[in-house]
Amino acid sequence: MQLSETGESRVQGYLFVLERSLNTFLPRDVVRDAVREIESHLRERVLAATAAPNEREAVERILAELGPPLRVAQAYSAERTIEEAVATGRLVPIVRAVGHLASTTVIGFFAALGLLVGYLTAFAFVAIAVLKPIFPANVGIRYVGGFPVALGAQFPLPPGEHMGGGYAIIPFALACGLGIFVGTHRGARAFLSWWRNRTVS
Amino acid sequence: MPLEVWQEQLRRGSLDLAILLTVASGPRYGLAIIQHLEAFTDLVVSEGTIYPILGRLTREGLLDAEWVEGEAPHPRKYYRLTRSGAKRLAHMKEEWRAFAGKIARLMDASERPE
Repeated sequence: MQLSETGESRVQGYLFVLERSLNTFLPRDVVRDAVREIESHLRERVLAATAAPNEREAVERILAELGPPLRVAQAYSAERTIEEAVATGRLVPIVRAVGHLASTTVIGFFAALGLLVGYLTAFAFVAIAVLKPIFPANVGIRYVGGFPVALGAQFPLPPGEHMGGGYAIIPFALACGLGIFVGTHRGARAFLSWWRNRTVS
Repeated sequence: MPLEVWQEQLRRGSLDLAILLTVASGPRYGLAIIQHLEAFTDLVVSEGTIYPILGRLTREGLLDAEWVEGEAPHPRKYYRLTRSGAKRLAHMKEEWRAFAGKIARLMDASERPE
């Protein structure tokens, strides 16, 4: 089947969306090669197809068999970005993989939001442990009117308030920070592993 | 676990082996691999998702990829098994046969009265 101008622009549109999706997480040369391969697949299928009952339906059938461009991009994502994150367990690949999912899927967005809260909470606890020896009067359990209301740092401390907990807050904050960090990190890895198993082919 | 999930896991777990078996007899390009898999199995659900797997197997050094021009009106990317891919395939076949044999024995035993 020879493609008409309309059929050709439909194929080019598909490849354009695929390229845009892949560009968000893959190096340019890898994207070029992947798009070239998918285009080769489409040309092969088009060449072997008959334009019956009409060209439009034939092209749509070929594209449907290939899968929506976002799904194909997700499969690449699962095989590369997510694979690296799950396999290595390193922070940077995990953040990159979650960031990619957050920008392309709704589930990924909410997962990234949850993980961001987890990582920030862990960071806040570690920051308390680090800041306590430097600013002993401004970091700890904040007491207002004799009642504990918060854990953290306050600069400057308003009159009538004081920070309690003493230096015992340091091991407590460190343990909480590291615990939450490890929990969040494991959660991120488990989520990516689940996502990879869900999307690969 | 629902049956569909188990079937999906089974299918996914055997896809690498199926792809390596497909190129074991000689180099094939993407669509030829898909057509071969479709002729013998129902492992391919969405054609576009096979290419990222081919890419991974190439990165892992199990396959070698090469663009060939002039054979068709468009270039084709051929995949061939590397030496390390052939070794891996031999191990995978061995593992698969042993595993399938054990499950078959287990099924036979489950059908025999105590």
